Amino acid sequence: MALPGAAARWHGWVVTAGGSLATRLGSTWFGAGLSSHARERLAALAELREVDPGAVLLREGADTERFGVLLRGLLALRVAVAGRGTATLMTVEPGDIFGWSAAVPPYRATSTVVALETSEVLLLEAGALRGLLRDDEALALTLYPRLLESVSRRLTATRTQLLDLYARDREYEPW
Amino acid sequence: MVTAAGTAFLPRARLDALLDLLREGGRTVIGPTVRDGMVVLDKIATVADLPVGWRDVQAPGRYRLSDGHGDRVFDIVNGQMSWKQFIFPPRQKVGEMKRSAADGSVSFQPSAPDPSRLAFIGVRACELAALGIHDRVLAGGTFVDEDYRARRDAALVVAVQCTRSASGCFCTSMGTGPEVRSGHDLVLTELDDGFVVNAGSSAGERLLARLPGRLATPGEEASVSAAVAATRAAIGDPVATNGLRDRLMDQLDSPRWAQVADRCLACTNCTMVCPTCFCTSTSIGSDLDGTVNVTERVWDSCFNPGFAKVAGGDFRPRREDRYRQWLTHKFATWVDQFGTSGCVGCGRCVTWCPVGIDVREELAAIAPPALPVERPFIRPAAATPGRFEITTLRASHPETADTATLTLVPSEPALLAGLPGQFVMVDLPGFPAFPISVSRYATDHLLLTVRGAGPATAALLNTPIGGQIGLRGPLGTGWPVDRALGRDVVIVAGGIGLAPLRPVVDTLLAEQGRFGKILLAYGARTPADRLFTSELTAWAERGMEVLQIVDRSGPGWAGHVGVVTNLLDQRDLGSRPTIAFVCGPERMMQATTSVLRDAGVSRERLFVSLERHMQCGIGLCGHCQMGPFFVCRDGPVFALTELGDLFTREGI
Amino acid sequence: MVATRLPRVGVVKLASCDGCQLTLLDLEDELIAIGQRFDLVEFPEATSRRSMGPYDVLLVEGSVSTPEQAEQIVDLRARTKLLVTIGACATAGGIQALRNWSNEPEWRASVYPRPEEIASLATSTPVAEHVTVDAELRGCPIDPHQLLELLTALRVGRRPQLPDEAVCAECKRLGRICVLVAGGTACLGPVTQVGCGALCPAYLRGCYACFGPRDAANTISLAGWLGQDRTAVEVDRLFAGFTGYAPAFREASRRAVEVMQPPARRRRSKGKTT
Repeated sequence: MALPGAAARWHGWVVTAGGSLATRLGSTWFGAGLSSHARERLAALAELREVDPGAVLLREGADTERFGVLLRGLLALRVAVAGRGTATLMTVEPGDIFGWSAAVPPYRATSTVVALETSEVLLLEAGALRGLLRDDEALALTLYPRLLESVSRRLTATRTQLLDLYARDREYEPW
Repeated sequence: MVTAAGTAFLPRARLDALLDLLREGGRTVIGPTVRDGMVVLDKIATVADLPVGWRDVQAPGRYRLSDGHGDRVFDIVNGQMSWKQFIFPPRQKVGEMKRSAADGSVSFQPSAPDPSRLAFIGVRACELAALGIHDRVLAGGTFVDEDYRARRDAALVVAVQCTRSASGCFCTSMGTGPEVRSGHDLVLTELDDGFVVNAGSSAGERLLARLPGRLATPGEEASVSAAVAATRAAIGDPVATNGLRDRLMDQLDSPRWAQVADRCLACTNCTMVCPTCFCTSTSIGSDLDGTVNVTERVWDSCFNPGFAKVAGGDFRPRREDRYRQWLTHKFATWVDQFGTSGCVGCGRCVTWCPVGIDVREELAAIAPPALPVERPFIRPAAATPGRFEITTLRASHPETADTATLTLVPSEPALLAGLPGQFVMVDLPGFPAFPISVSRYATDHLLLTVRGAGPATAALLNTPIGGQIGLRGPLGTGWPVDRALGRDVVIVAGGIGLAPLRPVVDTLLAEQGRFGKILLAYGARTPADRLFTSELTAWAERGMEVLQIVDRSGPGWAGHVGVVTNLLDQRDLGSRPTIAFVCGPERMMQATTSVLRDAGVSRERLFVSLERHMQCGIGLCGHCQMGPFFVCRDGPVFALTELGDLFTREGI
Repeated sequence: MVATRLPRVGVVKLASCDGCQLTLLDLEDELIAIGQRFDLVEFPEATSRRSMGPYDVLLVEGSVSTPEQAEQIVDLRARTKLLVTIGACATAGGIQALRNWSNEPEWRASVYPRPEEIASLATSTPVAEHVTVDAELRGCPIDPHQLLELLTALRVGRRPQLPDEAVCAECKRLGRICVLVAGGTACLGPVTQVGCGALCPAYLRGCYACFGPRDAANTISLAGWLGQDRTAVEVDRLFAGFTGYAPAFREASRRAVEVMQPPARRRRSKGKTT
């Protein structure tokens, strides 16, 4: 929803009024696995934004500017393939994260993150996230495992995609 | 059981000799006796104290005794209290805690275990099993109740095999009787002239050797077997215990708990008369200054209001919470804790409930046995190998690059009377037969969605319009759509797996009001590989939630990309009763069922359709065997509970 | 109790038979010890000492039956730290609460030649309907062991162990025959709070519910069960005993009359609805 008279609309970015961010974070898959202390501290530094379809949140290969949790909508993770253009590897479902590379060296985005629908995201500036993890041990103790879990789920799903289960590949087909 | 070696016969007139032997060494003999119209367990001095000629008639909430039924001693089945009261007394001093008024120092004095030497006569098989259960609970773990251990070790047990049963008995279902197998020192079975006696321990053998009498004749031993068998037949099998633990734990939200709670008085009678209940509280008796505090262990019950209370509140505030706690502990979680069911089927809780609540009825209502056993059977057409029914190809509609849907018109109407999920065996002359799931039933035709994966399927797809194809079927088991009545339905399809699921959608949408919310999660390789694309839109317009996801994105695709479990693993599917039907590559089904389990769908309500190499389709050629199943005959649709860990096992 | 002085204990009565106070005196073996540890400042049945308060503990026997008692109890409450009602009259209104279902002026007129001289409330009500009560000892009369436990708990500083379980629990622990199941005798034990030691079943009588209904007693279910072999009037009478005015029993009574009897024979019940 565009705020009338909002300054400098830039390719779909609009600031929307925040609610109780910690509560909304807690209602996502990612946030539900964090301690309430972690949720409070993340929410304190986070911004709630609504983005239009087509908005680019991260660029592949660039320094990861932000870490986010998708509250509503659909995001695509895309990579560029020479000669093929861009390919969508997977879509991020509500409750899941993007920009985990903000917390993991070399802090560069591994894919381009694009909104496919009008989406609501909770954003944390990458430096702020790293600062939090450095200064607050209790938060780090709960955030890193959760990040790892999210990346692990993604890895498992990707492996299954690799198996190409729906393909016609069984040699022993008798008919 | 009574065996040939060392089986003695004790004449009726010499039963007192057994009592004398039991009393040796200062033992007190405890057995059933009649007092004030009821059977109690108390000291037995002579045979006359036993309930000679008495019989009990029991019903829920009702117990009546009558005498004059001859001279049998053990025709009584059981009374209100069990042997628990002697080895685990209702009130048992635990110790004394003292606080000195002078200097405030404290001391404690634990009570010594009481090893009074008792001999129990008349212990039924169910009661023996209960003693065994208490041995595990009270003395079989890390911490042992010393008083219980002492009393138990000091007690001699003379069991009796039941030759009569009461209407509340269900030892047969619980696997505890009526045969006495172990845990006894001696066991008696009463015949007309006397008792056939067997030993069950070395102490028993020593007693047996000194009993007057003779060896039992083969005829007498046969009478024993016949009598106990007759008791077993009279009891029947009132409770379906197969999978009861899981069935019960899947029903924690059943509305029946509230219904039985409306009748339940939470009076604790059932737990007090139960021979295996063991919950207690500590009661403190202090002098006025609190300097001498005697602590007692007192029988308590999970039905009592304060049982689950802490300073912050009550964990089980409602009667239905407490009834559920009792029933699930007794029949389900006891298994997790101690390895067996907590119930021995003695029926006391049924008889002594003041308002006649019958646990057997409640179990059947709350956790009925799973249905897979009763599959509707429709006689398929041409079930004999070598024959087939002729069908004519009316149309062929391409779905994807390698898949088409064929419209086949049979002359045999039985082919159209199949269930969603069943398959037909396709017979093309010159080719081996192969199974294809029916992807839609209509009044005069059926649809088969076929993927060209080899020469035979290619031949099928190349059949010209008007050409003839042989079919046998419909065969196998279908999706249990009737189990979905009133429930939310989750359908997860992978690739061509949507074909056998389409008839389910047809059935659900035909009578949408009878089902809850319907969700279809459909995963395909690429957007172009999706089946029934126009129908997917139509289904969404009918109110189904249709989610589509592809492994690889394609041009113009702005939808979900990834594996189909991505659409499911963050949903809460456990808050409303939900049934799930899953079909696709087996690995996809494994991942999906795992995710659905985590999301709250119970294993009993998760169904998959398996595929195996089939040749005959009717369980005679052996090819499609999987564990104990023939997939063509017992499947292809299975409940996860049927499959157990076969489902994820390699090489089966 | 902070003990620089002995706790000041009062024992007073409203409309009652005195039986519950007597229970304190029946604690013969402990009476001297009690007297040494509690300052019995007001206890007309036992001592001529008089005190108008303040009381640390006040044991109140009897129900509120007259206008004077209604004022008295409010006054006493203001001067008491811990108010403990003892007995069926104080906790449930007592047997005299049976008049709550009747036309009290009519009764009064039929008994007394000059009824206007009798100052009586139309109802006999428990103390808790007038003031806040800190603890209850149920019974008709109360159980001496429970009274002793209450006094001991006050001294030691713990919560008194007054179990809210059914009489059935104690009956079963004592191995008593269940007169209801084995004899078909009407017994209110399953819905009555324990405390008497399951006395009546020991003599093959059904429980009369002297100790009143347990918390959340399912009297409707028991009434329905008993009603299978009894008329509605009989079931109604079972619940209209010493503690008949307690809400759970009142409800069972009312249901017995309204639900089990056809409308034509419905008894007029005055006053108390719901």
